Amino acid sequence: MTQTAERHDRSNRLSVTRAGGQLVADYWDNLFAAREAGKQIVWYNGGALNPIFQAAGLAWCHGEAFAARLAAQRLEGPAQLAGAEYGYNAELCSYSRTHLGCSVLTLQGASLQSGEGEHTGVVGVADQRELASRLPSPDFFVNNYAGCSTGQQWDGISYRVFGKQLPIFNISHPFLWGNKPDAGYLTGEEWEEASGFVEGQLRELIAWLETQTGRPFDWDALSQSMDYIKRAAELRREGLDLCKAKPAPATFWDWIACVAPINFLPGDQALVDYFAGVRDEIKQRLDAGVPGVQGERYRLYFDGIMNWNKLGFLSRKFAEHGAAVLAGRYIHNAFWQEPHLIDVENPLRGMAQHYLLCPTNHGSRTLDYLTLRDCREYDVDGIVFHSTRTCRAFTGPQRLLARSALNTLGIPAIFFEGDVADASFYKEEILESRLVAMLEQIDMRRQRGEHTGALGALGPARS
Amino acid sequence: MNHYLGVDLGSTTSKAVVVDDAGTIQAASIVQMGAVSRAGMQRAVDEALADAGLRADDLSGTVSTGYGRRLVPLAQRSFTEITCHARGTSAMVPGVRLVIDIGGQDSKAITVDSGGLVEDFAMNDRCASGTGRFYEVLARAIECDIGELGPLALRGGIDLEVSSMCATFAETEIVSLLAQGHAIEDIASSVHRAIAARTLALVAQVGRRAPVVLTGGVARNPAARHFLSLALNHEVIVPEHPQITGAYGAALLAREQTRGPAAAEGDADRPSRVPHTEPGHSCAECDGRPSAIVELGPVIGVRNR
Repeated sequence: MTQTAERHDRSNRLSVTRAGGQLVADYWDNLFAAREAGKQIVWYNGGALNPIFQAAGLAWCHGEAFAARLAAQRLEGPAQLAGAEYGYNAELCSYSRTHLGCSVLTLQGASLQSGEGEHTGVVGVADQRELASRLPSPDFFVNNYAGCSTGQQWDGISYRVFGKQLPIFNISHPFLWGNKPDAGYLTGEEWEEASGFVEGQLRELIAWLETQTGRPFDWDALSQSMDYIKRAAELRREGLDLCKAKPAPATFWDWIACVAPINFLPGDQALVDYFAGVRDEIKQRLDAGVPGVQGERYRLYFDGIMNWNKLGFLSRKFAEHGAAVLAGRYIHNAFWQEPHLIDVENPLRGMAQHYLLCPTNHGSRTLDYLTLRDCREYDVDGIVFHSTRTCRAFTGPQRLLARSALNTLGIPAIFFEGDVADASFYKEEILESRLVAMLEQIDMRRQRGEHTGALGALGPARS
Repeated sequence: MNHYLGVDLGSTTSKAVVVDDAGTIQAASIVQMGAVSRAGMQRAVDEALADAGLRADDLSGTVSTGYGRRLVPLAQRSFTEITCHARGTSAMVPGVRLVIDIGGQDSKAITVDSGGLVEDFAMNDRCASGTGRFYEVLARAIECDIGELGPLALRGGIDLEVSSMCATFAETEIVSLLAQGHAIEDIASSVHRAIAARTLALVAQVGRRAPVVLTGGVARNPAARHFLSLALNHEVIVPEHPQITGAYGAALLAREQTRGPAAAEGDADRPSRVPHTEPGHSCAECDGRPSAIVELGPVIGVRNR
């Protein structure tokens, strides 16, 4: 319930994530200077191919990641304007719109450096323009998108922006319908066939990269990189597991701050050390009884990609109501989330499987299983659906998931509209009203003596 | 005798309701004085208190709701419109299962359980489609008084298939229909049909239930009720005072907050560790099966291959 008294910040974010922020900043600085360092550069989108690029001796740029970084720094505007000027309006995925704008600005910057071009665009603020255009031009593209209706066209357009002169490699991913009799999460004929299909393409990618680089691929380096990543992913999962505690020692927002490291940083000891630090700080909090939200009263699940320009804001907003957001599809069902699948001696199959496990690549049956499983495990009281305006692949099944959670677990849900890298779709009052209404709903049920969490749910299905 | 005040400071009108210990309405007031008007709110409160023969000091509890709920100085607590409309409507129409509230700036569909508590709800996103504002745009475009809109629409027969849901674009579409020479009765009825269809989409998000109750200022429009009933293929009930359900619910909540048990406090237990309960996860040395908690050792490094 909303108190009329003054609100204060009750969030208590992990301090260790600042170290992750520095690792990420260093990574981007190295990428910006990669050309001068004599590296070949690959632009890619979708699943985390970085271990392959690392083993191939390349510098890599993940398009969504750079768009998210610009949005998190509130610097996405110039790139989006450049994208709009090129012809892509606000209905297009804001990751792609931002990244395509970066392509335009990068190309424009290269033309200026060579004395062949001039600024004619609408983008004006010098420092922002510089940040958005600091990406080095690619030598080639690799697309690795699963379950996304925009991803392949996005890289296809990037290919056009750069004059259709750069090589591009596309990996196709079967959608995991999950509707065959033996189909299940990580099991069944469909899963095995799809895993083999993508694994085969990864082998073709590696042969293609050998052609692009003129060097034999370093398989030992790939195993070493995946060994580090597997260890980091295990630590991440252990930390996530510890957050089932009541009150929870850390929240979904802390794990959002850990997305960049697990998603695209090099597989090395620094990555392992970082996630060990995250796990250790969570353990210390558990031992000391320090919660991630002061006065935790509600435990929530968050379904949707992150609004990257709202991380701090959302963290504070939920905390001010005593709501600890603990789990979510974007965190628990993405980013090397099943490290036991990775055989470091022969990592391609486990990698292929993780690319298939993109949270937009499951049929509703599997999504339903995963969502309800995590709601139960974290004993959540309600679900917040971020209806990501320009990512319909993510939002498509959300109503089904909400209905299933209500019918099966008796937990309520709310929806609010926003976007991954465009704050204009977000309206604070809409989230505030709906969130508070749901918390009131939970309070009323508690007053009536009902258990409100997903564990020991309210009872049988509602009609 | 104790008395409780509920104040609904909405986007276009302020409502105040006073109830007694039994939850019976002693006085109610509705004042329209512009967007989230504090002056309008104060006037509504003053009028309701005067009608009940009370002073502010006589009140045992006050709860506010509506867009401006945080601006009501008398309120000890505020609740959202969702909670208050469900509470007030359940008290006015016992047994209600679906509340459709169409106010000045938003519309909402709320399913209510058999105990009168909110089960699920959906609200319009961002724009004014399907709200009171939309009807105002229509009335302005066809140059009729808002109070005459309903009877006018009930006289219309031809469905002109108005498609615009943005109030601004709809005005353009209405002007276009006027320019084509269509009768204003047909235009009015067509817009009402379009709004009913929009409301039906909102209802679809929470599930159609019955009895259905329509509340909010728009509920006073007989055509809105008629076309919504056609769209739902079900009778739509309008309570005697459809605009005060939110304020009434707030007053009832003020009574319950003062007399009833306090909200459950947060779990003060020491942190507890929870193992996997279902298969599928994997962490540390775990193989994804339900098991006891697993932890890595103190030395963190890459395992020897």
